[in-house]
Amino acid sequence: MFEELDPLLHSQLRLAIMSVLIGVESADFNYLLDRTGSTRGNLSVQISKLSDAGYILVEKSFRKKMPLTTCRIAPKGIEAFEKYVTVLQSYLNRQA
Amino acid sequence: METKSDYADKLGLIYEMIENSRAQIRENAFFFLLWGWLVLIASLIHFILMKLGHYHSFLAWPIIMTAGMVISVIAGIRLGKKSTYRTYVDTAIIYLWWGFFFLILVVLSFAIFGLIPWHILNALIIAMYGLGTFVSGGILKFRPLIIGGICSWIISLGVFFVPGDYMLLLVALSIIIAYLIPGYLIRRSVK
Repeated sequence: MFEELDPLLHSQLRLAIMSVLIGVESADFNYLLDRTGSTRGNLSVQISKLSDAGYILVEKSFRKKMPLTTCRIAPKGIEAFEKYVTVLQSYLNRQA
Repeated sequence: METKSDYADKLGLIYEMIENSRAQIRENAFFFLLWGWLVLIASLIHFILMKLGHYHSFLAWPIIMTAGMVISVIAGIRLGKKSTYRTYVDTAIIYLWWGFFFLILVVLSFAIFGLIPWHILNALIIAMYGLGTFVSGGILKFRPLIIGGICSWIISLGVFFVPGDYMLLLVALSIIIAYLIPGYLIRRSVK
């Protein structure tokens, strides 16, 4: 019996956001925008979903009077991401 | 129903995102070049003025090093503001060099109060920035820095063979090997 893949991470953009954040200590909105190639609106929505789930921590501040959103991965997010990769690999191995 | 290729695509996306983030090598050369040139200039000015008989030749150090600190703090704040992300490597490097700075202050106070002679202080400083360079090289996976660090430790042993005054020339030599050469190599590798 296969373990189910986390539906929150199964979305292409949310998985991309998590993959970027797993490799850095923190990243701001523009960096995530650049790395994922997403639109501002979609990225904002997906960041909120990951934040609501407790997978990432979002900090709102200002830089030169402009709003700045900084994201970092939360311990719960690291756990979920590692589990997602493990399950994904087991799917691939079983289907081989 | 998702196929094997869908799952492989997901894994591919994960690897691509992680690798892209890692691939952005930072321009770390600025601080190595700044401090490399400042220490080189300070040590040579101190040595030349001392040989010319100036009593206050040592003043080259506090003046040039204070200027270096001011420039570094301003440059560090500017870089931090410009940066859109921060890696664990950045944090490790920042803590390492701040630790080095405070360690220098502690050891310097020993020399100011006469607990250690100045030529020994020079050897200690060479060995300490050898440590900073060596660890930075390990973190950044940049061999010239690792080699520079090891060379600094070897050069610091010159204290056993070289007259006290000439330790300043060893400071100049080691800063070229440990900071300036790797600094220019980093700059070239990033271009």
